Amino acid sequence: MEIGPIFRALLRNKLGALLIALQIAFTMTVIINAVFIINERNRLMARPSGLDESNLFHITVIGFGDDYNEEIVAADDLAMLRQTPGIVDATVINAIPVSGGGSSTGVRLINDETSPSTGTAIYRLDEHGLNTLNLDLIAGENFTATDMRLRYESGPTEADKAVVTRALVESLFDGMAPADVLGEVMYMPGGDVVQIVGVVDRLQAPWPTSQLVERSMLVPENYIDSFSRYMIRTEPGQRDRMMAEVERMLVERGQDRVVRDMEAMEVTRANTYRVDSALTTILRVVVATLIVINCMGIVGLAVFSINRRKKQIGTRRALGATRPEILRYFLLENLFITIAGVALGAVLTIALSIVLTTNFNMPTMAWYYTPLGALLLILVGQLSALGPSARAAGTEPAIATRSV
Amino acid sequence: MLEMIDICKVYRTDLVQTHALRDFSLSVQEGEFVTITGPSGCGKTTFLNIAGLLETYTSGSYQLDGVEVSQLNDFKRARLRNEKIGFIFQSFNLMPDLNLFDNVDVPLRYRGLKASERKPLIEKALESVGLAGRMKHLPSQLSGGQQQRVAIARALVGSPRFLLADEPTGNLDSNTARGVMELLQEINELGTTIVMVTHDQELARESRRNIHILDGQIHEENGRGEMSSSASAVA
Repeated sequence: MEIGPIFRALLRNKLGALLIALQIAFTMTVIINAVFIINERNRLMARPSGLDESNLFHITVIGFGDDYNEEIVAADDLAMLRQTPGIVDATVINAIPVSGGGSSTGVRLINDETSPSTGTAIYRLDEHGLNTLNLDLIAGENFTATDMRLRYESGPTEADKAVVTRALVESLFDGMAPADVLGEVMYMPGGDVVQIVGVVDRLQAPWPTSQLVERSMLVPENYIDSFSRYMIRTEPGQRDRMMAEVERMLVERGQDRVVRDMEAMEVTRANTYRVDSALTTILRVVVATLIVINCMGIVGLAVFSINRRKKQIGTRRALGATRPEILRYFLLENLFITIAGVALGAVLTIALSIVLTTNFNMPTMAWYYTPLGALLLILVGQLSALGPSARAAGTEPAIATRSV
Repeated sequence: MLEMIDICKVYRTDLVQTHALRDFSLSVQEGEFVTITGPSGCGKTTFLNIAGLLETYTSGSYQLDGVEVSQLNDFKRARLRNEKIGFIFQSFNLMPDLNLFDNVDVPLRYRGLKASERKPLIEKALESVGLAGRMKHLPSQLSGGQQQRVAIARALVGSPRFLLADEPTGNLDSNTARGVMELLQEINELGTTIVMVTHDQELARESRRNIHILDGQIHEENGRGEMSSSASAVA
């Protein structure tokens, strides 16, 4: 193998190779960090919310008449909905998971306002809430109808029972199993005591980018605030049909209210993650474009380099080089350039990753991204150089005796 | 050593057929120094390319050192070139980015020799052309005559039995050309068969055997103590 001569020849004629190596380094830096961001976003977007999203939709009813009684209307609406064929269950709920908007609070295990609190999303819903959302109750029990209370906008006290997520249990009770925290109490801001009666495996908070996304608590309350938000779960495959029917039924039930904002949970999720989804699409385009530009650069340099050295190639063939040996020569040459670019790229990749982690609160990139990216770039480089190198290998040895 | 019988080479395009060599027959014995002369376009380079296995011929028979080359594929032709033939080109054809050592090393690398086996051969070849002290120089740091000496060293380093020279003095001044010719004669005297294409009639006259080509055929042959017409040479 002609490693030494190729290396020395490259050092003597390094401008073109240096430019391509820099291009490879830049490409690698951007690609690896972009792929990491894409994967990170995909991971965030793929996290299960804990809901039966494909069969859930939500709808808001806003009353405006003087005689409008939200409590009675909501109870009647929900009773009607639950009896409607095609609907599994329905609940009133104050906030929609993964929607971007909701309520949060801080809870403590000791009743001391100066001690640190643990942030959590708070969902106010009725005893049908767990079944409607199709949450996996892993310990304890659901609320009962007698647990339900009404909460007004300036409600002075909190509910006294709660079902919490496993993540909230882990945050509050270090190392304790979900079953072991049943009956434990938490202190709300203001000192109200809430007893844990159940633990669900998962229910995401309304804010997907929040650190507390997995920490939620559910309390048996109907939040009275002139509008009611219903979450409805349908039989599998019935969602779209039931959405139209539910909207029609609710509209027909009264003249003194507006029915609006009906949306499938899948749409809610898609809307919430729209920016992330757009970002990943843009980054994919950037990655693909950079790879194509990188390939074109390598092909361009290889073609230029080979055309410039046509006579040298012919001379090598005349001196006994076989076609595979010429092919190998140019692939090796490309490999050296790519490795130089990849080595520099690895340093830049890690540097950019540190900058992103430090300044943009991103998680640390896994160690394997850089070597895998390097391997990919080397593979892309070799594939790009294959065509021109094969063309070089096809050079006739007789070109050595031609005067031009 | 070299036996060509009725070699024809035809270059074809859609519109034109060009007969570069017609019924070209030539026999070169081991140890001979043969010069090939002729006007531009007469077929000298085509002959050289075919003799050096750089291109194929259309018809006829060519045996190099007893091997019928028409039966060889590209790979075997490359290996045969590497083992049997040394090339010297008019423009030297050195690799500009490689130093003299690496330049002379090129044909040995294709022979699959280890570095420890190649090194003494390269040093000996460069020494034989008087450039042992300049192994790390680049071709651009040498004069034309010195570059051609490097090319000769490269041609000789693998100890080929057959040296093909394409106008080796064509780009050199007369004094330098004289030195290169003396070197080639010394090489020939050591037993290497040399076939040299040249425009230089004076060099051709000095050679023991000169073949003059005209229109792709041997027009005249001087040497081996006789002068013959094209008809007898071809026959």
